[in-house]
Amino acid sequence: MNFSINPLSHCDLIKISGRIDSYTAPKIQDALDSLIRKGQYNILVDMQDVSYLSSSGILVFLDAQRKLKGQGNGKMILTNLPPNIFSVFEIVGLENVFNCCEDVQSAEERFQK
Amino acid sequence: MKTITKTFAGNYQNLAAIGEFVVKIASDQGFSSKEVYAIQTAVDEACANIIDHAYKGEDLGEIKITITSFPDRIEIFIEDTGESFAPEEVPAPDITSPLEIRKERGLGVFFIRKLMDEATFDCSSEDCNTLTLVKFKRS
Repeated sequence: MNFSINPLSHCDLIKISGRIDSYTAPKIQDALDSLIRKGQYNILVDMQDVSYLSSSGILVFLDAQRKLKGQGNGKMILTNLPPNIFSVFEIVGLENVFNCCEDVQSAEERFQK
Repeated sequence: MKTITKTFAGNYQNLAAIGEFVVKIASDQGFSSKEVYAIQTAVDEACANIIDHAYKGEDLGEIKITITSFPDRIEIFIEDTGESFAPEEVPAPDITSPLEIRKERGLGVFFIRKLMDEATFDCSSEDCNTLTLVKFKRS
């Protein structure tokens, strides 16, 4: 699993590739916590190259979403969700728990509103 | 009918190798991409639970996985020698509750039950815990 973080106009973009499981999820948690500690409360997660997302990864995103919501206007959007991952979201009833967007551009527009 | 068994050290780093093992066999058997992903997720959650709850830590025991391919289904038998873990005592997470009060414990078992057609936990043996997962082909 690898990730990169780049500041955009209205949010920070974290682009993740590979597996997010019990082994790698703590690294994503550290990255998200670090952004939030620095006061970056708009976070866009690009999931296009994520090959697998386990419940431990989902818990990391839920935790970040909770922390951002606690900051008032903070928000996290997941974008470019691979069909297999979204399919599991639907099966287990998580599709409406996260803010999801089709692509980076439309997600950025939602941060501007 | 074809059966393949592999044993892995119970640590989080091995979850990727376990995933590759399961994906290869399920794909070769003709399951769809979504079905293969669901099977991979169920096995990954089961193995992570074994490390977390049965062994209560990494590299404290092995995870033995036996996969049997049938024309209409795949059966995956997962064994560990850790402490007994009673999944029926794990409440299903309430994912409809508000974000602020949601408790996500039990998400792994919830995933396993939702994604597989059958999931049978057996902790009655003194020697090992077993989980039998079954997924039928839809197409």
